[in-house]
Amino acid sequence: MAWPNIFQRGALLSQFSHHHVVVFLLTFFSYSLLHASRKTFSNVKVSISKQWTPSAFNKSIELPVEIWSSNHLFPSAEEATLFLGTLDTIFLFSYAVGLFISGIVGDRLNLRWVLSFGMCSSALVVFVFGTLTEWLHFYNKGLYCSLWIVNGLLQSTGWPCVVAVMGNWFGKAGRGVVFGLWSACASVGNILGACLASSVLQYGYEYAFLVTAAVQFAGGIIIFFGLLVSPEEIGLPGIEAEENFEDDSHRPLISGAENEDEAEPNYSIQEDKTITQVKAISFYQACCLPGVIAYSLAYACLKLVNYSFFFWLPFYLSNNFGWKEAEADKLSIWYDVGGIIGGTLQGFISDVLQKRAPVLALSLLLAVGSLVGYSRSPNDKSINALLMAVTGFFIGGPSNMISSAISADLGRQELIQGSTEALATVTGIVDGTGSIGAAVGQILPV
Amino acid sequence: MRSFPGQDLVQKFSGALFWRLVPRGRNASSSKPDIKICIQCPGSVQNLSEVALYCKQTSDLMLHARCCLNRKGTILGLDLQNCSLKDPGPYFPQARTAIIIDLQANSLQGDLANTFRGFTQLQTLILPQDVNCPGGINAWKTITSYINNQTCQEQRNLCNSTGDPEMCPENGSCAPDGPGRLQCVCAEGFHGYKCMRQGSFSLLMFFGILGSTTLSISTLLWGTQRRKAKAS
Repeated sequence: MAWPNIFQRGALLSQFSHHHVVVFLLTFFSYSLLHASRKTFSNVKVSISKQWTPSAFNKSIELPVEIWSSNHLFPSAEEATLFLGTLDTIFLFSYAVGLFISGIVGDRLNLRWVLSFGMCSSALVVFVFGTLTEWLHFYNKGLYCSLWIVNGLLQSTGWPCVVAVMGNWFGKAGRGVVFGLWSACASVGNILGACLASSVLQYGYEYAFLVTAAVQFAGGIIIFFGLLVSPEEIGLPGIEAEENFEDDSHRPLISGAENEDEAEPNYSIQEDKTITQVKAISFYQACCLPGVIAYSLAYACLKLVNYSFFFWLPFYLSNNFGWKEAEADKLSIWYDVGGIIGGTLQGFISDVLQKRAPVLALSLLLAVGSLVGYSRSPNDKSINALLMAVTGFFIGGPSNMISSAISADLGRQELIQGSTEALATVTGIVDGTGSIGAAVGQILPV
Repeated sequence: MRSFPGQDLVQKFSGALFWRLVPRGRNASSSKPDIKICIQCPGSVQNLSEVALYCKQTSDLMLHARCCLNRKGTILGLDLQNCSLKDPGPYFPQARTAIIIDLQANSLQGDLANTFRGFTQLQTLILPQDVNCPGGINAWKTITSYINNQTCQEQRNLCNSTGDPEMCPENGSCAPDGPGRLQCVCAEGFHGYKCMRQGSFSLLMFFGILGSTTLSISTLLWGTQRRKAKAS
């Protein structure tokens, strides 16, 4: 057992300036906001499906048409639900394609511009999708599909950019803990989205979209004015210069071989780099790295389950137990709470054990049991919340670990020393494969 | 019905603008709009009819052809007796605000159940002898049969008597829709399609707070982080 460096090195904290704190918080909250606006759609599924269908009330009393049945986009609630699932699938496929592209292309452009452009334009698309169509009473299936495809492509710029920026600022030392904490940003975003949506749902679902889109747009502006992509931007030494001072390399936990101190590849992605040799790694080479395919496939299966919960939990709670939509939204937060605790705790344990795979395997085995248990949950809010948190712990935990710490490990193996693009490309591959798995999972029941 | 934020403001402005442009005469009869149901049948309100009595005993009401109108031009009484009508005609819904309607001495045919849709204020209805009161005995407190007419008086609100608590969808509530008819409207505080929406979202406050917060955080971060950044 080896305690993480963070306990042995008191000097660790002193190397983090206020810039590091700001970068951590900015990247954390920018991805949280992206995820929050994604979550809004699943939080308002019940209301949207009601808005698109005429009333199916079967009593003899007179129902004035303009209040109860003027909207005939879908003849029944079942058809509307099918279409909602189709929208999820479309989003995930375009998100996966966008991730593969962003992983390759994103290195050539300024990360700050890409991230703020992605956030602001995605916010505008979400606004048109949810709020403008309702204000103008213009409901059209083709419009919804195309807007959601564009949204998937724009949102995919977020993850590779934030991982790359974090990689520029935080090097080897303490990476496990820092990334473990940081990877909770997706779950925090889910919680934020659920809170925002449930608080304004009573005014109409269009305001849930408006609020999350507006906050995301504001976040994009703040990113533009406040984010420093790498230490070199203000003249500070990059992580490779700092890590040359360290004498004990905190090796990536995937590779088992002993290493001498190696020259750190620099994650900074400015075009006028002259300090290190920038060697591109091709897509095929990245796929052939040991562990990438295995973890990508595992992540595909895992993300399938995770995103089924992500997209349908409030809808399931509302339909199965008859709870009001705003309550179901608030309760679905517990799944993400379990995910945050799981990701941080399991990341810490795997740092201590110096092995990631056993922790993941055990967690996923226990996840099967917790899923079965959750499916038999009684109609009691406290018990359901507890089971939900446990399930989130065993599923969300490995999910957070694979997407952050393990991607960082894979992208930092000694086989590809000296290459800067490996991290973004590998992140793109792992997350892209995961998204494809999740997308396929959405259409499996159909 | 379209609704968008600020719709009520637009309506108020356009309403105010309209009344400025249309000259309003002091003489009530010159500005009366042409209400088709009142002039459809020739003649005027009979002197001894119930409608005439009602019109005289209440102040602020005036007679116009076959109608009894108030100041704003709303029909409160309608006298169509002896008009050779087979049915009340396509303009009949204009009189849905009426309190008293007289249809005796006409050879009305067909079922009148749907004719009185929306006539929620109707308290006295005089029909030909052979025509039954719409809604039957349950819908009216008093039904009196005279030699040449049937008089239905005091419309009942059937919402209270029909004891079904789930007669309306979620957030809907029962409301009368005319004699013998019920409809579901939105309950108190709810509005919009299927009455899903409650209250009103204050856009101004939201964007005000968001805008000022964004401005201050951006300025703060730019000052502490990016001010010394190299141009990129």
